[in-house]
Amino acid sequence: MSIGKFLVKRLLQGVLVIWGVITIMFALRAVSPGDPANLIVGPAADPEIRDQVREQYGLNEPIYVQYVDYVQGMITGDFGYSFQSSREVTAMVLERVPATLELAIAATIIAIVIAVPLGVISASRRNEPADYGATLFSLLGISTPNFWLGLMLILLFAVFLQDPMETYLGFTFPQGRRPVGFGEAVMTLVTTGYAGDLLTWVRHIMLPAITLGTYFTAMITRLTRSGMIDEFGKPYVTATEAKGIPYVLIRYKHVLRNTMIPIITVLGLQLGTLIGGAVITETVFNWPGLGDRLIQALNARDWPLMQGIIVFIALGFVLINIAVDALYATLDPRVTNE
Amino acid sequence: MIPDRLESNLRQGFRESLLPKLGLVLLASILIMAIFAPVLATHNPTRTGYLDENGNSYPPLGTSYTTEIGQDGEFVEVEVESTSDHLLGTNDIGQDVFSRLVYGARTSMLVGLLGTGLAVLIGVPFGLVSGYYGGRVDDVMMRIADTMLAFPSLVLALALIGVFGSAGFGIPDPLTRFGLIDGMPESTTLPGTVTVVVALVTWVWFARVARGEAMSVRNEEYVTAARSMGASNWTILFKHVLPNSLTPVIVLATIQVAAVILLESSLSFLGFSGTTLSWGYDISRGQGYQRTSWWISMVPGLGIVFAVIAVNLLGDWLRDALDPNIEGEGGGA
Repeated sequence: MSIGKFLVKRLLQGVLVIWGVITIMFALRAVSPGDPANLIVGPAADPEIRDQVREQYGLNEPIYVQYVDYVQGMITGDFGYSFQSSREVTAMVLERVPATLELAIAATIIAIVIAVPLGVISASRRNEPADYGATLFSLLGISTPNFWLGLMLILLFAVFLQDPMETYLGFTFPQGRRPVGFGEAVMTLVTTGYAGDLLTWVRHIMLPAITLGTYFTAMITRLTRSGMIDEFGKPYVTATEAKGIPYVLIRYKHVLRNTMIPIITVLGLQLGTLIGGAVITETVFNWPGLGDRLIQALNARDWPLMQGIIVFIALGFVLINIAVDALYATLDPRVTNE
Repeated sequence: MIPDRLESNLRQGFRESLLPKLGLVLLASILIMAIFAPVLATHNPTRTGYLDENGNSYPPLGTSYTTEIGQDGEFVEVEVESTSDHLLGTNDIGQDVFSRLVYGARTSMLVGLLGTGLAVLIGVPFGLVSGYYGGRVDDVMMRIADTMLAFPSLVLALALIGVFGSAGFGIPDPLTRFGLIDGMPESTTLPGTVTVVVALVTWVWFARVARGEAMSVRNEEYVTAARSMGASNWTILFKHVLPNSLTPVIVLATIQVAAVILLESSLSFLGFSGTTLSWGYDISRGQGYQRTSWWISMVPGLGIVFAVIAVNLLGDWLRDALDPNIEGEGGGA
């Protein structure tokens, strides 16, 4: 099978999965108790107004008509209107995407930058103190709930260390809503040459990104370590050693590259964990992303908004997984033969 | 059930490393804490009002903190000292933190074990059928599994709880019911919806493993032999295929208990679990009091960390000895 054919097949599967997600979300809403009109105008509202509202939101239609409307809307990118604010769900979702992406990408970068060297060192110095340290760190990392880690980081940096950091370093890692987004900050830097906004953004994202990234750092460290140890035992390593190629080169160029393939796959699979983690990290740090909005929507039982966010997250998840598969297929052509 | 070779792997792994022993000791302590909570707790964990004369919470033994109180129309700084009555201090509404730590173990262990058990009961038969029959059946069932996997588990769990609400069931506590211990809660709340929901969002991992096992054994000679003797598909599935796929299921189940404990604590932290006697819930209680009363959220968090470490250590040991290639969901929170 060519890579093209393989991707088409994966895309078709992806479409099926998204349809399944949309259907499940619709079914959940349909079986959910309570009259949605109550949620929009309140239970004390005039029956006439409630009827009007039901008409307006299409709630009087038979269930299959609502379903078809709903799926049609989703296909055209129309996710309906929020019960609570009457705003378009699509806009409410899209305006929150950048903050979540910033957080997820920052966390991934932190994870890779720390974990890969740590894993390599750990594998190269097996059963030495460095290896034990890395192993202990990864055990703690995968066992710590990230909302608690976030609170402890706030306690450490925004309470205990705030004054000393201010005095000796001249900056702190503040807790609380970021005053500026990455996009705006970069625009300011480009147009006016002022870097202050970007630095403010960096200081604000540090704690949330570490909070979200720790689990992944721990996991990638583990994967890199075990992957490298497996690879060290393979004949090509002995061959390159025999040719007199320096160890550093063997380690980082040949062995690490082969180790990265399974790591990428597992990272793709663990993306759900990253998104789930982002939801809860955002609520801890008041980070204005999708997760923060999802919790608000849940608390208000704002169905259209909730559905919109969840379908959007699933869509992103499926697309990224297809991208990971494509990357995987390029790195290791054997997968397309399955 | 476990072949000799694997059994000797298990023994060797346990003998040669300190980690599985540590995991076992930790897990045993937490289970003892959960079972004998009424004996070990020093106070009723739900009783409020253990505060000093100014209404301040007590800090953990050996520590103190300063806070401001209103006195004669102005604010005065006072030092709040710890008391030996409350080992780990009290929270914002004056509940004993140590007793809540002990009781919180119950919720975590109950949801962790029951939730994972339920996920096994859903996922394993699903996967066995899918892998054993193959073809169209397998295609359809695996697309269903893919759809489940497209939801991050925490997000799907939140959506389900959004629909069904979060109910808890009181399980009577024999130690207090029969009057053996006085002054402790007469029942423990099992967050029922949460237990079902964590199973509904994690069963797919078991389905995948069971499917793989069923696929690998369905053409083995003993299955063909059973079939030729007229055994029905269901007999073959549950008498022959199931026992052979149990080893990876056990490994995965251990790993998943850790994931489920984390998931439960996340849901409780967000206030969606239906019980207020839970480590995750207690962490959220302390959120607003970080500046002075750090112990309110620190202590229950340590409970979660130790519980999850214990399960992970045992899971690593089982995985290394029995089935190095298995993949679970991991944390989720």
